[in-house]
Amino acid sequence: MSPIKVSSTLSGRIDWAFVAAVAGLVSFGTLAILSAANMTSFYNLIWQKHFIALALGSTLFTLMIAFNYQVFQDQSKILYGFAIVLMAAVLIFGTTSRGHRAWIRLAGFSFQPAELARVLIVLVLADFLDKRARRAQDFSTILMALGIAAPILLLILKQPDFSTALTFLPMITGMLFCAGANLLQLLFVFGYGALALSVPLVITLCQVRFPNAPAGSLPGFIIATSKMGWETLIVIGSVAFTCAMAWRLATWMRLQVKLASFAAVAVILTGALLTGIVVNRSMKTYQRNRFVAYVAPRSAAKGAAYNVIQSKVAVGSGGVWGKGLFSGTQSQLGFLPERHTDFIFATIGEETGFIGAGLVLGLYMILLWRIVTAARLARDRYGYLVCAGLASMLTFVMALNVGMCVGLMPVAGIPLPLISYGGSSLVINLWSLGIVANIYARRYALL
Amino acid sequence: MNWQAAGRERLEIVWFVIACLGGILGVRLAQLQIKDASEYRRLAEINSSLTIYQTAPRGTIFDRNGKELATSQSASSLIFLPRKGEAIHDLIPVATELSRRLNRDFQTLLETLEQADHDESAVRLAENLPRKTMFQLRELQTLYPGITLIDEARRYYPYGNFASHLIGFMGKMNSREWRERKAKGYRADSRIGKMGLENAFEDELRGRDGGRRMEVDAQGRLKGELGNTPSEPGSSIYLTIDADVQKAADDSLRKTATGRGAAVAIDPRNGEILAMSSQPDFDPNALLSTDPEEVKRNAQGLPEFNNAIAGTYPPGSTFKPIVGLAALSEGRVTPSDSFFCPGKFELGSRTFLCWDHKGHKRVSWTMGLAQSCDVYFYNMGLKVGGALIERYARAFGLGGRTNVALRGEKGGHLFGPDTRRRSNKSWYDGDTLNLAIGQGELLVTPIQMAVVAAALANRGTVWRPHYTQKIVYSDGRPDYLQKPEKVNAISAKESAWDQVQDALEVTISSGTGYPAKIPGIIVAGKTGTAQNPHGEDHAWFIAYAARPGEPASIAIAVLVANGGHGGVTAAPVAKKMILAYFGMPDPETERAAREAERAARRQRLGAGIIPLPAKIATPLGVSR
Repeated sequence: MSPIKVSSTLSGRIDWAFVAAVAGLVSFGTLAILSAANMTSFYNLIWQKHFIALALGSTLFTLMIAFNYQVFQDQSKILYGFAIVLMAAVLIFGTTSRGHRAWIRLAGFSFQPAELARVLIVLVLADFLDKRARRAQDFSTILMALGIAAPILLLILKQPDFSTALTFLPMITGMLFCAGANLLQLLFVFGYGALALSVPLVITLCQVRFPNAPAGSLPGFIIATSKMGWETLIVIGSVAFTCAMAWRLATWMRLQVKLASFAAVAVILTGALLTGIVVNRSMKTYQRNRFVAYVAPRSAAKGAAYNVIQSKVAVGSGGVWGKGLFSGTQSQLGFLPERHTDFIFATIGEETGFIGAGLVLGLYMILLWRIVTAARLARDRYGYLVCAGLASMLTFVMALNVGMCVGLMPVAGIPLPLISYGGSSLVINLWSLGIVANIYARRYALL
Repeated sequence: MNWQAAGRERLEIVWFVIACLGGILGVRLAQLQIKDASEYRRLAEINSSLTIYQTAPRGTIFDRNGKELATSQSASSLIFLPRKGEAIHDLIPVATELSRRLNRDFQTLLETLEQADHDESAVRLAENLPRKTMFQLRELQTLYPGITLIDEARRYYPYGNFASHLIGFMGKMNSREWRERKAKGYRADSRIGKMGLENAFEDELRGRDGGRRMEVDAQGRLKGELGNTPSEPGSSIYLTIDADVQKAADDSLRKTATGRGAAVAIDPRNGEILAMSSQPDFDPNALLSTDPEEVKRNAQGLPEFNNAIAGTYPPGSTFKPIVGLAALSEGRVTPSDSFFCPGKFELGSRTFLCWDHKGHKRVSWTMGLAQSCDVYFYNMGLKVGGALIERYARAFGLGGRTNVALRGEKGGHLFGPDTRRRSNKSWYDGDTLNLAIGQGELLVTPIQMAVVAAALANRGTVWRPHYTQKIVYSDGRPDYLQKPEKVNAISAKESAWDQVQDALEVTISSGTGYPAKIPGIIVAGKTGTAQNPHGEDHAWFIAYAARPGEPASIAIAVLVANGGHGGVTAAPVAKKMILAYFGMPDPETERAAREAERAARRQRLGAGIIPLPAKIATPLGVSR
């Protein structure tokens, strides 16, 4: 088959709604970047870089439609090795910006490999889960999947980029879920993660709301627990004791519950607690401030919460119709921080109002719906899992970013896919969506 | 394929979660952008706009003849608004020019300008520029874009030390006042009326401040002008004060022996206050300086005490007309009844002296009042009795506030058998003697005595004194017109009024009050020299005056604290006020002017300069 012939046969199978959603989001993003970066000092550089990335990304997207995605499954080991080498290389050769060693400079361009590594992990895990389809229900599958992602995650945490590492977890969970993992086991893992994350949040809340809590009170006890003292031992001991008692109660009541379940609960609770405490201790000041801003926005109006408040003001003041592109006071006059990168959704909200922001949200929903459809129609389990992973990742990142801009989520330094300014992010996202388009196009086993 | 069966179900759950998240975000967007949009729009506007305020002209305070007592002068402030593209590139010539015109240090000015240019923020270079400098700077405005003059209204009191306690003064708010007024559109640096009319009519006098709204960015740099709101002036207040009478009162009181006291003039026909002076006074302009240090210095030891309404003194002999009216009206004494004054009066074992220790020999009513014979009034007092005197005094309004609309008025103290009984104390004849000559526990304020003088002039009508004639509102509301308020009508026999008024006229024409005598004007009055255990006697004088054949149109009470004899110290003040009221030349100042002119002419002739006729000596700009 000649390439020309292939593309002509494919054209009828392309999901045009999907392509339109991608094109719509990218166009909207381009307009928003042109408007938001208008007042910055590197305006020319920014739009030039953006259009180069856009050209590159579109090319990759188009190429990916014509390219058989199954190649990625065949080359899974190489992809995995490439991802690890890439992330290790960042730590060795990377340039540091704002405290993160997350960029590789190559021929005048900066490149952020973590985004690429994330997609690579989707491809690698899809292959792994496809091959373990028969043992999908085993707990070992979950552990092994986490084990595969662990080196990359650790390397990213080493940068350190907590937010990006965080986006891996829902992605992996989503893939495991779609691969048919045991729900209870998944719940345990998910509960562990959620608990480990909520521990620092609770501790921060207690520290902010009750700074002078007496030693005997609950907040005082929680703060003391966070210091790894004998209070921590008491908590662990009482968790173990409660689980043991519950098991005894269950046996006495002749309930058919395994001892292992109770042990698992105890292990997860204590493990999550300890992990949470470790996370809490290793948090950087700016990360702590974001937590503070989330739990008590008014306590730090000029500090970390400033960003959230200004973002909400930007979105809210846009009203239904918006202030018009290039006319938002919050974004054009510099009140909105990171207005062309992380907070670009706030710029869209301010300048194009509910109509524009709602349109972006709607395009996202169409995009996700089409990815889910691609997953449903995929010709093989690998394609199905790739789509599920990408859908989970995009959903989480989009919800986290938009939620941050409208004040529902704590501030996390992650860009809005396809919209935010950032060359590597745009190129990688277009490339990965190209794979989705390819999976959809090859939905019939004929080709 | 079996993966599809299990997968499809789980995929539906994933899609459900995605749709839920999208729904939550959509609802949140609607909440922010539709429901709370106006609130956020307001916040965004606060973020991005900065207003350079222009103080509105405050309402003018006029006297009864339309003379401006408190006005607003347009004072200009010079601001520098550096704007992108328009700003001046070379600041040195501007700084040179400004330092020359404003008489300020070149280096500091240059630094201020450079800082403002660098920060792209507005800076106020000078406030309250004099009119002359303002016109000169107006040219600069066209030469150097960015240098801008904004007109601001500044309070100005053309007469300076003039009715200070009545008009009051303006000042910066303290923290409590600021909290109370924040919501009313005041700014932290707004000035408010602190005393007198400025305080009482703050809401009416205050205008609405205007301002230029500028757009600023997050760093506070100016981006452009959003709009200009013109200021709106406050309402005007017309007073019943006669500026000439007030000025006469202020100036002559200030020149008295102690320079402390009060003078109040009331129109006996309606209770309008024609003048209210309290000394020592102050110049309210001195508290409006832009230099806070200067204001602080001037505010320290500011004589805020209003002697006219809050100073209480024994009335002394000015009380005697009330005693006389009581006695004559009640028929206890007839005008022809006479008593012998040996210079003292013995009651039991105690001796009460007459002010003239030589004694007045045999005196009847007219002579008794005109010479203010204490012994005559001791006798009269004993015949009338303390109770009646007290009743008449109360009818005249003594012992209670006149309720003039000013803060801090005192009611004084009236004593008598009735008051004593109420506090379970006894009344003795000795008290009657003290009351009959206006001594003892009796305390009155100058404004009360002015009301008494007015009631003596109009035969018994006690007015509530007022100083507002009308308020002309700036917002188009109908004018507020003040109506006279009658507090009391004293019922006394017509013959008694005649006898009292005749005796008061004699007091001026040939008695103790002769220093207040004015040819061509009927002046009636009574002097008072109130004994004071703390020092020198207080000098009192009450009077009323009329053109012949007309009802009395001015009633006056003058008090000079520790001024000694009322006739000597207080009466001349009243005389000057009456002369000013009737628009008559003051012989004393005329004489002084004549002498000065004569001296000047002698000097000029001596120096060989020929004086130009007045008509040629006009300013250059006027002669054509």
